[in-house]
Amino acid sequence: MQRSGYGQSPPLHHPVPQHVSTVPQLRSPPPLTSQPQSGYDGSPYQQQGRAPSGNMFGQYGNFINDPAAQLASQFGQTAFKQGQEYLEQNVNRFVSVSALKHYFNVTNSYVINKLWLVLFPWRHKPWSRKQTVSPSGQEGWYLPPRDDLNSPDMYIPVMSLVTYIFLQTLIAGLRGQFQPELFGYIATTALVVVIVEILGLKLGCYLLSISNESQLLDLVAYSGYKFVGVIVTISIAEIVNGGKGTGGVIGWTVFAYTFFANALFLMRSLKYVLLPENNNNAQGPMQTMPTEGRAKRSQRLQFLFFYAYIVQLFFMWILSRP
Amino acid sequence: MLIFGNLIYVSCLLINAIAILSEDRFLARINFSPSSYDPAFGQSADASVQAKIMNLIASVRTLMRIPLIVVNTLIIIYELVLG
Repeated sequence: MQRSGYGQSPPLHHPVPQHVSTVPQLRSPPPLTSQPQSGYDGSPYQQQGRAPSGNMFGQYGNFINDPAAQLASQFGQTAFKQGQEYLEQNVNRFVSVSALKHYFNVTNSYVINKLWLVLFPWRHKPWSRKQTVSPSGQEGWYLPPRDDLNSPDMYIPVMSLVTYIFLQTLIAGLRGQFQPELFGYIATTALVVVIVEILGLKLGCYLLSISNESQLLDLVAYSGYKFVGVIVTISIAEIVNGGKGTGGVIGWTVFAYTFFANALFLMRSLKYVLLPENNNNAQGPMQTMPTEGRAKRSQRLQFLFFYAYIVQLFFMWILSRP
Repeated sequence: MLIFGNLIYVSCLLINAIAILSEDRFLARINFSPSSYDPAFGQSADASVQAKIMNLIASVRTLMRIPLIVVNTLIIIYELVLG
C-alpha cells in the first residue's frame, strides 16, 4: 500500500508521515487501540515514539513482497542447506550419526536394569550380546540396547558424566567453595580421563592386534560406566561423612565395592569386545597353531585384566577425589 | 583448560621422546629397529607385540618429524611470551 501511495502523492523527503498513515490499519492489539487516536496529530514526540513499532510491521510486509528479498531469502536457504550438508558430511566422516543413534535407543526399563547391573553385577548370568539376522539371512548385527540388556549404550555414560559434573559442583557449593570455573574444571578432568582411557585402549588394541568393527564407540560407552560407581561413591560418602570428603572407613568401603563391581562388569562385558571367540583372523597356516592362539588369548586377557582393575582403580580414584 | 593444556604438553613431550630415539645407538641394540628385526620362525612379521611397537615407533619417527618442529617452536614461543 505504500508502493501505490508513491505514484499519487508528491515525493516526501521525510518518511515519518507515511508510516504513521499505515499504523492504525496494521496494528491490532487492544491496549494500544484503546489509547486516544488524537495522539497522532498531537505532539510530534508521540508520533516518533509510535512510529518504530508500526514501522516494523510495515517493513516486514514489504520485505516479504520485495523480489530482491525473495531472492536473498532463497539464496540464504540454499546456502543454509549447503552448509548443513557440508556439516553432515564432515560430521559423518568422524562419527557416523546412525551408529550413534543405535547407542541412544534405550527404554526406561533398560536404563534401570543397566544401572542395577553396573552396581550389582555379581549374579548376572548371560553376558553375551544378542544378535539378530537380517531377513535375507546373510548378515547379522547386534540388537540395540532397547532389546538387549548386555548391549552397551551411550545414554547412561553421557547422563552420568553430566550428573558427575553437577554433583561435584554441588558438593563444592555445599562447602561454600563454589566458583563458576569449577564446572569447566571438573568437566575437563572427566573428559581428559575418558580421552586418556580411550587412547590407552586403542593403543592396547593396536598392540594386541584386536580388530573389531564399531569398536571405538563400544569402548567409549564402556569407559563411561564408571561414572555411575563414582557418583554412588561420592554421594554416599558425602552423606555419611557429613561433608568431609570421600575419606573414612565407609567412604573407602563404598569406593572399593563400586570399584570391584565396575571392574567385574567391565571384565565380563569387554570380553566380547576385546576377545573375539573365533580367532579366524589368522593369515597364514602357521598361525593356526593352538599354542600361539592360546598365548595371544592370554595376552589379551592380561590386558583386559590390567584395564578393568588397575587402570579403572586409578581413574576412579582420580574422579572420586573431592 | 589447565588440564587440556597439560594433556597437550604431555602428548607433545611423549611424541618428542619417541622421535629422538636413536636408530643406530639405541633401537638397533635392543632389537627394536625395523632394519634389524628378525621374527622367529612361524611368526608372521607384523603379528607380535614387539613388531607392533616397532612399527609404531618407526612410523612416529617418520611421520611426526616435521610437524614436531612446528609444534615445538610454537610451544617454545608461547612459553617465552606468556609462560
